[in-house]
Amino acid sequence: MKTTIEKEFQLEQPVAKVWAYLSDPTKIVTCVPGASLTEKVDDRNYKGQVTTTFGPVKAQYNGEINISELDEAQHRMALVGKGLDAKGKGSAEMTMNGQLTPSGNGTTVKFVMDISISGMLAQFGSRLIKDVSDQLLNQFVNNFKDRLSGKEVDNTMKASSMMGTVLKSTIGGIFGGEKEKE
Amino acid sequence: MIQCKTSKEIGGMGHSLKRKEDARFIQGKGHYVDDIKLDGMLYMDIVRSPYAYAKIKKINIEKALKVPGVAAVVTGRDLEKYKLHWMPTLMGDTQMVLPTDTVMYQSQEVAAVIATSRYAAADGVDAVEVEYEVMKPVTDPFKALEKDAPVLRTDKPGKKDNHIWHWEVGDKAKTEALFKKAEVVVKENIYLPRIHVASIETCGCVADYDKVNNHLTMYMTTQAPHAIRTVIALVAGHVGLTEEKIRVISPDIGGGFGGKVPVYPGYVIAIAVSFLVGKPVKWIEDRSENLQADSFARDYHITAELAGTKSGKIQGVRFKVVADHGYSDSQAAPTKFPAGLFSIGTGSYDYDTAFMEADAVYTNKPPGGVAYRCSFRVTEAVHAIERITDKFAMEVKMDPAQLRMNNFIKKEQFPWKSPTGWTYDSGDYHAALKKAMDAVGYDALRKEQAERRKKGELMGIGISSFTEIVGAGPSKDFDILGIKMFDSAEIRVHPTGKAIARFGTKSQGQGHETTYAQIIAEELGIPAENIAVEEGDTDTAPYGLGTYASRSTPTAGAAAAVAARKLRDKARKIAAYLLEVSEADLEWEPGKFFVKGAPQKSKTIQEIVFAAYTNHPQGMEAGFEATHYYDPPNLTFPFGSYICVVDIDKETYEIKVRRFVAIDDCGNIINPMIVQGQVHGGLTQGIAPAMYEEFIYDEDGNILNGTFMDYLVPTAVESPHWETGHTITPSPHHPIGAKGVGESPTVGAPPAIANAIVDALTPLGITHLDIPITPYKIWKALKEKGVVKPVA
Repeated sequence: MKTTIEKEFQLEQPVAKVWAYLSDPTKIVTCVPGASLTEKVDDRNYKGQVTTTFGPVKAQYNGEINISELDEAQHRMALVGKGLDAKGKGSAEMTMNGQLTPSGNGTTVKFVMDISISGMLAQFGSRLIKDVSDQLLNQFVNNFKDRLSGKEVDNTMKASSMMGTVLKSTIGGIFGGEKEKE
Repeated sequence: MIQCKTSKEIGGMGHSLKRKEDARFIQGKGHYVDDIKLDGMLYMDIVRSPYAYAKIKKINIEKALKVPGVAAVVTGRDLEKYKLHWMPTLMGDTQMVLPTDTVMYQSQEVAAVIATSRYAAADGVDAVEVEYEVMKPVTDPFKALEKDAPVLRTDKPGKKDNHIWHWEVGDKAKTEALFKKAEVVVKENIYLPRIHVASIETCGCVADYDKVNNHLTMYMTTQAPHAIRTVIALVAGHVGLTEEKIRVISPDIGGGFGGKVPVYPGYVIAIAVSFLVGKPVKWIEDRSENLQADSFARDYHITAELAGTKSGKIQGVRFKVVADHGYSDSQAAPTKFPAGLFSIGTGSYDYDTAFMEADAVYTNKPPGGVAYRCSFRVTEAVHAIERITDKFAMEVKMDPAQLRMNNFIKKEQFPWKSPTGWTYDSGDYHAALKKAMDAVGYDALRKEQAERRKKGELMGIGISSFTEIVGAGPSKDFDILGIKMFDSAEIRVHPTGKAIARFGTKSQGQGHETTYAQIIAEELGIPAENIAVEEGDTDTAPYGLGTYASRSTPTAGAAAAVAARKLRDKARKIAAYLLEVSEADLEWEPGKFFVKGAPQKSKTIQEIVFAAYTNHPQGMEAGFEATHYYDPPNLTFPFGSYICVVDIDKETYEIKVRRFVAIDDCGNIINPMIVQGQVHGGLTQGIAPAMYEEFIYDEDGNILNGTFMDYLVPTAVESPHWETGHTITPSPHHPIGAKGVGESPTVGAPPAIANAIVDALTPLGITHLDIPITPYKIWKALKEKGVVKPVA
């Protein structure tokens, strides 16, 4: 199943600095919750791991990361990650497009993520997957902000809090309550 | 009122006897497969594929074997050594037991873990690591038929496409000629989505192989124990399990509905493991496995066309089907009927021109195509004819009830030969629809609808006047793997006049223990409460093909009546001997023979039976037993008219079923209370696909609603108040004039509901919606038409 998530946010950092982080896989990948790089194949290709826990389903994806676009002039990058669960419970594929535009002294960052999931996780249905992915991206954005401002980043996935937040936002959705604020 | 020939004490046909089986069910004393616990029993759990289409590169079992309690992990390679990794299907195709190279659908069995407890087996499953090479699946049957589609069944030598079979019936040339010149032609693409029987008890078994005696006892959830025994012997005969060494026991079943007819890989793996280790092996599916991997139903893409006159006379139909069978044709249907009895789709109307064709296709979805509370694709056929008939009525601007009345086959036209070759045994369609219209107050409802429409309110009235075809079937046409579809009854009356009767069928909630006893009580006068009914043990019951497709009453019920009549003939001889008169001088009334003109000279059936053991005439065989194998001369054709009234919220499109009147005609009624219960259950399983149930797959073959959280089975909350009634048109060829009934409501309800919803939405320009019809689907259709107002 597929889901697309878009995020746009402001950073009080100049475009050049943000681009330096965004275009460096060792910095960007480690902002992804649960992800780590295990091997650099060449400048554009890496191997890595993502561990996620979603309720009863624990998945460890071993995968490849390919930087398919890196346009410094336009400040645009695209990254494709493909992973298979080590235990054979499913697979995930993600394409992330990042675009930076200067705004005043800072930068507007826009991310579009297309996520495609097969196997056990997909069976949870689109409602939850969308929410989980949304939370993951929020965590990613926070990590990215922290890293830019020089803070230490803890990118282990906050599994328990994640489940709670997702349930809250799903149930909130059912009862018409307000969604969690970003 | 139903006229009863027997007293309440005897409890023959027509009495609403309370169900004998309910005493144990309501006290929690039912005995199901999962209740069976044997010494040394091992437990099995199954590793399933997360992908719809993938190559298996490696299965790593080492970690699983280290899990405490895990005894073994079985893979396709292990079964291959015994040539048990593939098995034949009922339709002459092949299906994997466990794969050696490729998985073909999500949730397919990949390996089995055997352990000393159910928990250890599950932990073992979690520890098995499978390396896959994922491939792009084909999930759309139309794309599967395209020229450049990848060939899925590469295991079949020379297979160059994904086409399974083509089937057709009727007169093609005549039909084409009619459609060319017809005044009115209506056409609709009608899809009946993939759904599941979702019985509350999942499938399972305990395979108990006794090495010392070389004997297998197979306890399993099966609707057809004898057929299963033969199939096991055919599959496993080469390893020494011949048919006399196999005993299949089907204990109480918590709902079958067709889903417990097929042989699933889990059963075969359990047998193989028990055979190899010499210990009993239990396998019970969990809910998700049941929904995701077991046989689905429907999945028919139908293009329905109807030709007629401007004045509203139906002249002919043309149906074309693309049937998505998943990766193997493992549907449960009689061998000569690959599209089941879809040819009943000519319906209840009088015309002589029809052509129907179907093409079956392989896709990366679970195999199956079970007759879900439906005698082999009848639901699909009835939905097509009843939807397209409504569309025709709309086209010629005639009230759908009036149009049906004008086109019905008349009572005096029976037996009626249909343009697709069936001989309808009996019917009175006008009476059934009239009764339904009177019960619902049809004319007043139409007036109310006109008033409400003026106010912009959405109210709809839908009719379905279906003709069913049940009781497979006559041996000249009907067989499964060559075994003719007769069924059987054996009656043994004990010296004290009480009896046990055994059958080749198997109740899953139908109430056979009560209704069969009533049939015998009717014929022999022995009180139904003194007749024990036993089914499901192949060592004791006579051979039969089981219970599905509403066939039990038409076949085994008939066998019971004929066997009882054989005994009554014997009783007459004994009575004549005891009363010292000639047989011709005796007259029968339920429970006794008496001398004509001297009713005080009589012998009760109990006295006669006692004499059969204590004082039987010289030259007569002692005892009082009879067996009959009944080969029906024709199928039976139950029918009915259903009327549904809905109100749809004009803002949210929430659908409320205000009234639902169901008039059924299943011929003579054995037990009115049980028939009513059958109708209630069937109607609920009719509203299910009409408004809620549908399996959704994404383009990668992931099932997106494989649990009860997302696959919406109606509960008591969703079920409307059912108003039921009946007409009685006996079957002329059935010994007791009965027809089947279990599936009629499931077949008849969906088009009545769909017709009502479409009728409500007609003012907004809707002419068709595929089931399940949800508020979201209505909103989407109206949005496409531009009639949904933006939210203020």
